[in-house]
Amino acid sequence: MTTGSATTVMPPTSGTSRGSKGSGASSVQGGWRLGDAVLGLACRGSAALLALMLIALIGVLLHSAWPAIKQFGPGFLVSSEWRANEIERPLRDAAGAVVIRDGEVVTETLAPAFGALPVIWGTAVSSLIALVVAVPISLGAAIFLVRVAPKLRIAGAASFLIEFLAAVPSLAFGVWALFVLAPFFQEHIGPWLLRTFGEVHALRWMFYEKVTVAGRTIERPIALTGRDLLSGSLILAIMILPIITSVSRDVLRTVPRAQIEGTLALGATWWQSCMAMLRYGRSGLLGAIMLGLARAAGETMAVTMVIGNNNQISPSPFAPAQTMASVLANEFGEATEGLHRAALLYIALILLAMSLVFNVIARRLVVGRAARSPGS
Amino acid sequence: MRSIAEIRRRSISTMMFVLCAAGAALIVSLLLLVSGYLVWIGISSLSWEFLTAVPTGDVSNPGGMRHAIDGTIILVALASAVGVPVGVLAGVYLSEYSSEHVATGTLRFVADVLTGVPSIVVGILGYELVVVPVSRMTQSAVSFSGYAGAAALAFIMIPIVARTTEEMLRLVPRTYREGSLALGATRAQTIFRVVLPGAFGGIATGVMLAMGRIAGETAPLLFTALGSRLLTHNPAEPFPSLTLQIYTYATGPYPEQKRLAWAGLLVLLALLFVVNLSIRIVASRHARTRVGA
Amino acid sequence: MSRAILLVLALGQMLVSLAGAADVRLSGAGATFPAPLYTRWVAEYEKTHPDVKIDYRSIGSGGGVKALIDKTVAFGATDAPLTEKEIAAMGGTDAVVQFPATLGAVVPAYNLPGVSKPLNFTGAVLADIYLGRISTWDDAQIKQLNPDVNLPKTPITPVFRTDGSGTTHVFTSYLATQSPEFKGEVGLGKQVKWPLGQGGKGNEGVAAAIQQTAGAIGYIEHNYAVANKIAYGAVKNKAGKFVLASTQSVSAAGDASSDGMKGTVLRADAWNAAGDESYPISAFTYIVLYKQLDNIKSANEATALLGYLRWTLGPGQKFAPEMDYAPLSEKVRAAANAAISASTHQGKAIPANP
Repeated sequence: MTTGSATTVMPPTSGTSRGSKGSGASSVQGGWRLGDAVLGLACRGSAALLALMLIALIGVLLHSAWPAIKQFGPGFLVSSEWRANEIERPLRDAAGAVVIRDGEVVTETLAPAFGALPVIWGTAVSSLIALVVAVPISLGAAIFLVRVAPKLRIAGAASFLIEFLAAVPSLAFGVWALFVLAPFFQEHIGPWLLRTFGEVHALRWMFYEKVTVAGRTIERPIALTGRDLLSGSLILAIMILPIITSVSRDVLRTVPRAQIEGTLALGATWWQSCMAMLRYGRSGLLGAIMLGLARAAGETMAVTMVIGNNNQISPSPFAPAQTMASVLANEFGEATEGLHRAALLYIALILLAMSLVFNVIARRLVVGRAARSPGS
Repeated sequence: MRSIAEIRRRSISTMMFVLCAAGAALIVSLLLLVSGYLVWIGISSLSWEFLTAVPTGDVSNPGGMRHAIDGTIILVALASAVGVPVGVLAGVYLSEYSSEHVATGTLRFVADVLTGVPSIVVGILGYELVVVPVSRMTQSAVSFSGYAGAAALAFIMIPIVARTTEEMLRLVPRTYREGSLALGATRAQTIFRVVLPGAFGGIATGVMLAMGRIAGETAPLLFTALGSRLLTHNPAEPFPSLTLQIYTYATGPYPEQKRLAWAGLLVLLALLFVVNLSIRIVASRHARTRVGA
Repeated sequence: MSRAILLVLALGQMLVSLAGAADVRLSGAGATFPAPLYTRWVAEYEKTHPDVKIDYRSIGSGGGVKALIDKTVAFGATDAPLTEKEIAAMGGTDAVVQFPATLGAVVPAYNLPGVSKPLNFTGAVLADIYLGRISTWDDAQIKQLNPDVNLPKTPITPVFRTDGSGTTHVFTSYLATQSPEFKGEVGLGKQVKWPLGQGGKGNEGVAAAIQQTAGAIGYIEHNYAVANKIAYGAVKNKAGKFVLASTQSVSAAGDASSDGMKGTVLRADAWNAAGDESYPISAFTYIVLYKQLDNIKSANEATALLGYLRWTLGPGQKFAPEMDYAPLSEKVRAAANAAISASTHQGKAIPANP
């Protein structure tokens, strides 16, 4: 990075300005000297605001989530119960029989319980599926943009389209997924999948769900509605394509020409030289993927519209699910009960921490890569 | 004669070439698919009424989205009024005050971190930091407001503008600054008359990009501006935006409102397309003049 | 930054209050379930009382009660009657006035192409559907209730509300009376943990999910289903009759369940009411205020508030059926008026006529 070199450009202004300016300009100059002070203050203040914003973000979330953090601790991360209401029910003994004392049924009261595991599961699985789908396509497209497109003189147009895709708001993808992708899946792909694979025993977990109520487990077919984990993941994949592609493209561009020409001269095929490029840029590419992951994990609107919004952990990609971001969009507005609200803020905090970690690692990888390469 | 291994090597290469091209083609066709569908349905739903009328409350004849268009313009303007100057000044600090390298290094990192905050989290912060305290102070039931929405959008905007400004200022040759300072200009003069004008095109691009980004945001507004069916220009009230209205209509059951949602998306996307295209033009012109200079 | 915002905000509010200095402004907040009717009431009332401006924000029952406890509104609106904890937070039973404003109903709405006649349900069957016990539409239990309907083999997708709501409270409260298993496993409340199914936000979200998914069933407000022409079924009442939700059947349920309404904190559970005519998933929705209206600035405003509330219980009731809510019976209205009249402002009784 060039941080160090820029420092030398800025000598103290007072020393150089004295001799070279005419006396007529001195009052104006005095104004500008005051200007220096004001500008310095404004710049420092604005920059300090950045720090203040981050502190406020973490501080406010931490403060508001505190009741839930105190109540649930780290166990919040692995608890799968998410229930905002109290349940009063007959107490059952180990054998499952209702406990009766003094001729009356003894009742137990279950307090509201909140655990983040279902939404962490939903976020992790949907982001992973999205990455599996998006990464090969993005890397392929990035290679195409760097190696092929310039020769065809379409690099500019293709880059523009991909950057425009990155600027399309997630709402647009959500609406498209809701009205085009989900119905298409429900009407065409779903029935076809059921016909073809529905009876395959090894894939039963995909098409049937187990519902356990009062100790009785029932297996029932999952309705293929197109509003499920898979749809949510696919729309995420589409949404992270542009960012992974454009960052990968930038990373691959920094691979020295000599590197490519060298491998070709040694008799490597086109693909082998591409592999060499990918190897050379691997840490930057990993950064690009992490950026995609960060975006996928924090994405809200499009996912909320098609993921089905059920806080459950189901192995099937066709079951409705919920992500950290979508549970916030769904429940935060009406969550007036103290602990419920605090639990949601706890989730917001986890989401924040997660995306910060992904982003920081990603930037380290991409920037580290770019800094080492010449001419970036 | 070529060996089997060689043929295999070549054919793998050809296959991968095709796959790479297919990847690029897939992305482009996805874009065309999504936006083509949008334009197709959107245009048939777009009307003069859409741009000028406000919601009627009658679901079979829902009126237009004038209130939401106005709302988005006002929200973006308010957010930019805070976000652009603060962002640019912070960017100037990061680039021009790099002698304070511990601070600039840390703050650059902070800005990067802030650009990665999920927008729904920003919305929740807006609720906790603006809506709740204002409710308490003004003794009103809930103070969802355009100001809260604009504050959330500014939160997203500031780090983006700061980082782009910094990047763009770095592109201004060092010799310009040295020359200006050597002629006796103060630091403020140098920054305002030499450095900032030199990077103007790039900064303008970054600002427009950031404005486009916040115009398309929904999640930060859910719990801050809240949305409104009414035409209002008073940001102290719950405030409409194009994105919130599209979300409400799209997730609702009324077919006529869904048509409005498509039309709204078309308007939003057309806006972003124009912004992106002009950025492209400005940026390439900027690049050319820099090379020329 | 936020200080500047506050400043501008304060200025804006000053301007607003200057402009409307002559008017009485009252604010209320709460339930979304009766919000369409409340909005209509305000519009109708302001026609004849142009000097009174009422701002009702449908932010959810919980939010409304919280706002009232914080004394930031003149009145709150809630679907679930106040809990003991909430009453204590307001200062105990003697400090609170709670009365029903209207009656609403929740209906089981579904999407079954080819089925045109309203289906029959029982509470137990609905509970089993939501517990996952009944998984296809041609299940024997549903067939038994609908012998002359050709039911498809389509899997059932239950749809529920993801946001906290009075609608969920009413529906789960009813199911809890019909199925001990539902009561013990899912329980009742504004927001519960459903064992399976799709979630939708708000009535709109649930209705949209039903419309887009063949085989879906969901619970939505009666007026919403009617306004949007969504098919819904009849439910077997306590007397063993299958009844469709209608203004009459919901009013009947209200009549049958209102005997216990006395004092200033009125409440009655209208679900699973007795009577041949009663629709079983009916519920009162309530307005809540302080008995000592000291959260209200002037006696003038307190008079205006009571004037409006009395109007809603009198002439206002005729708008309820137009909006597919059920009007209150004579008896309930009398009890409600008596409860309101117990209110005082700064220790003084509030005159009856505004």
